[in-house]
Amino acid sequence: MKLKPADLLAFAVLLAGALMMVAPFVWMISTSLKPAAEQFDMRLIPATPTPENYSRIFELMPFHLLLWNSVKIAAISTFGQLLTCSMAAFVFATVRFPGRNLLFVILLITLMIPAQITSIPQFIIFKALGLYGTQAPLYLPSFMGGAFGTFLMRQYFQTIPMELAEAARIDGASLIRIFFTIYLPLSKPALAAFAIFAFLFSWNDLFSALIYLPSDLEQTTLTVGLALFQTQYAAQWPLMMSAALVSVAPMILVFILAQRHFVSGVAASGLK
Amino acid sequence: MRLFASTALALALGPFAAAAQTDITFQLWGSPQEGEVWARVAEAFHAGHPDINVKVEVADWDSYWEKLRVLVSGGTPPDVFAMDAPLYPDWQSRGALLNLQPYLDADPSALDGVFPLTLEAYKTKDGYFGLPRDFQAIVLYYNKDMFDAAGVAYPTDDWSWDDLRAAAKALTLDKDGNGKTDQWGFWAEAYDQEPFWGSVIWSYGGDIVDAPAGKTLIGSDAAAAGFEFIRAMWLDDKSMPTQSQLAQFGYDGFLSGISAMGVSGHWSVPDYAAAGLNFDVAPLPKGPAGRATGVNSAGFVISARTPNPDAAWQFVKFATGEVGQTELAKLGFAVPIRESVAKSDAYLKQAVPIRHQLFVDALAYARTKPVFRGYEDWASAVGDALATIWDGDADVADALAQAVKDGDAALAKAAE
Amino acid sequence: MNGLRPLGREKLWVLVLLAPTLLGLLLGTFGAIFSTLGLSVFDWDLLTKPEFVGLQNYAELPESRLFGKALWNTVTFSALYVPLVMAASFCVALLLNRGVRGEKLFRVLYFLPVVSSPTAVGLLWIWIYSEDNGVLNAMLGMLGVEPVKWLGAKMVLWSVVIANTWGAIGEGMIIFLAGLQAIPREHYEVARLDGATTWQRLFYVTLPAMAPSLFFQAVLATIHAFQAFDYIYILTRTGNGNSSFPTLVFSIYREGFRFFRMGDAAAQAVVLTLIILGFTWVYFRMQRRWGTT
Repeated sequence: MKLKPADLLAFAVLLAGALMMVAPFVWMISTSLKPAAEQFDMRLIPATPTPENYSRIFELMPFHLLLWNSVKIAAISTFGQLLTCSMAAFVFATVRFPGRNLLFVILLITLMIPAQITSIPQFIIFKALGLYGTQAPLYLPSFMGGAFGTFLMRQYFQTIPMELAEAARIDGASLIRIFFTIYLPLSKPALAAFAIFAFLFSWNDLFSALIYLPSDLEQTTLTVGLALFQTQYAAQWPLMMSAALVSVAPMILVFILAQRHFVSGVAASGLK
Repeated sequence: MRLFASTALALALGPFAAAAQTDITFQLWGSPQEGEVWARVAEAFHAGHPDINVKVEVADWDSYWEKLRVLVSGGTPPDVFAMDAPLYPDWQSRGALLNLQPYLDADPSALDGVFPLTLEAYKTKDGYFGLPRDFQAIVLYYNKDMFDAAGVAYPTDDWSWDDLRAAAKALTLDKDGNGKTDQWGFWAEAYDQEPFWGSVIWSYGGDIVDAPAGKTLIGSDAAAAGFEFIRAMWLDDKSMPTQSQLAQFGYDGFLSGISAMGVSGHWSVPDYAAAGLNFDVAPLPKGPAGRATGVNSAGFVISARTPNPDAAWQFVKFATGEVGQTELAKLGFAVPIRESVAKSDAYLKQAVPIRHQLFVDALAYARTKPVFRGYEDWASAVGDALATIWDGDADVADALAQAVKDGDAALAKAAE
Repeated sequence: MNGLRPLGREKLWVLVLLAPTLLGLLLGTFGAIFSTLGLSVFDWDLLTKPEFVGLQNYAELPESRLFGKALWNTVTFSALYVPLVMAASFCVALLLNRGVRGEKLFRVLYFLPVVSSPTAVGLLWIWIYSEDNGVLNAMLGMLGVEPVKWLGAKMVLWSVVIANTWGAIGEGMIIFLAGLQAIPREHYEVARLDGATTWQRLFYVTLPAMAPSLFFQAVLATIHAFQAFDYIYILTRTGNGNSSFPTLVFSIYREGFRFFRMGDAAAQAVVLTLIILGFTWVYFRMQRRWGTT
């Protein structure tokens, strides 16, 4: 493979953009390594770097418990979303039935209503179901589909040629078989992207954890703990940055794991 | 047969024994440390009331109110929860809170020894629906190191606002000589009335609001003179950091070590000490009409829908009593509401050696922060209008006219 | 309407596949839509019984102190943000999809802002935009330009658009990368054999094939824009918990959760939803036209 000027240019543009993207992180890491006295010192390399902030935040708050609660809930939610949203998306993309578009639009409208308005009715429903005070309201909704995932997967499924499904059907394959043996395996890049988002939504969901769980550091999630941590140490940036970095680490790991599925072989320009 | 009898006894007693244990929840805003202090108070309470278990839950300020609104309107309120005095009428007038008056009538000595001014905010024509937990009076904080370095004398108990202004000018410095100010003489949170402008207006002879009459009063000449004083310090002297200058250091200019003086309540003491500042406090300076400061008290309220009002009351009574108040005093961020505790070593001999007595003395010239239904809407309306002065976008007269207009509209809306 | 027509037992499978979503619609969506519409015709302070007021909450919107300003801010913000973030993330995805060196690392780096906590990064943006010691003004200073008030009334719109775009490029990038992978390579092969240039391939192969992804991202970015909150609030908040650049979601939150006026909040939410729905409809039409050519 020859290096073309266009590739060099692409690389240069990406590099410049990446620098802007990553600068705040470098700065966060730098601040997290500074002792308190240096927090407003604008130097990038701390004069006296120390890892102490990281051990201190675990002493100040049970971050390991919070991390575990959040990872557990996010993993269950992600599984539920991947399964139920692609099921519905498959129907929306491939099956003809009356009221399909209307149903889809109704689903989309939920994304557009700001969450503050619906929080109280939703709370009353979960309370009536006897789930207040448990972790169920944090992951149970993920097993009931959802507008974002259904929309995303439907858009992707639409790009899969219909002829594949029709041919399989002539061979006697059932809908469910077509879904599991043709659509899902072909959709790895989209499923990986969706998994990242599903995990991210659950990870960042402050409101549900706040409302449905007791504000108890043994039971609640990382976002609630972090919000609490931030009120107490608002002026101590090195501690705040350490906590913020610890709290995004699992998310970055999920991204790295999922993104391997983005590549379906040789990229377009590699073809000669 | 014996086995059978004991089983029968256990079956008979089982539900009874369980019913004798009462669980109540107490929710408050604050830091995890504050949660721990209240958990200690709850333990001390449990020792005296073995049949009542109190579960303490703490959340940060924004989360707390959000959660509380959902829980209360969803019909699952905590039994006891924390209240901020200005917001109390909004909750009280809508029937969310239990009337404590019957308990107080049955126990007339319950409020003996409580500073009367701290009770004012919770008094209604139907009695008390909440009791103060602590109180906060605003005083002047000064950074001794900065005063020493600039050779300026420390604030005295006789200072006037003009003395403060002159000292602030002398303490506003460009230390590294790059043409930009890096130390300011004074910092104040000027969007809400409580820390600063309310006290200035009072000491200039003005007043803030008459909520029952639906009138915002900051448009008077006396009040305008007070606002003009603040404007001049901020925009002419430039001895206070602007919002954008402050933002890069956080929200509190005194805490971040960029200003030599600040105004705040006792809640700032732990933060300032933790930041390693060498500081002390002085009374707020006098204005043309004398000295004034604002008092605000956070409190306890009991949900009107609690299934265990008696147990909840027992806890509130205990927490506002000597033991609860002593624990609170030791925490170091609030002033106890009981005179006996405020005079005790638990309060006066705290780890941070500043003039703690001064916060109690302030009650002599303090006024309560206005407390009425629709407070937040009114405060936002007035604060937004005043912001145009601080940003240099409007002159004092125009901004005050706007603040009175928007403030009155908010009051009218709340009265509907 | 294209798609398979379910026959006999397949109808049952359709129901099974849709069952979780239908349950969710029943429990959540209808609740959300009806409660929002319902609340908007009541005065409800969360604590006492709601009182029916008809369309009064809507009639009062124009005279609301905050709503008009918030609506204007949100619309202008969206008009700048949506095209900008779409273009930027699409370009990044295209460049990454060429198979450049270090592609995987680049993806992680571009994704970092998406996961970063606005509270933590917000302070950095304040430093970047700071008047006295800010990075931007320091660079302008070197060119001899006077310091700019980036968060002042004149520039604040652009400043928040840039910060939000920065935080969202990674999101669009993921969607577009997944979409680009779905384009059959033979299409490019055929185009190349026909002698199409890079630009022609982009316009006649990539863009039409990406129509579903672009549509999805346009709808999503519009929803995000109209519901934008975190960075804007952090960059523009004033000492009393207000904002010098209030947005619709901020206004809704304030009415409902701080001023005890859930009915007014719901009416604003209905207006917000209708605006987004209007845009979605326009995108739908565009996708259809584009998809068929």
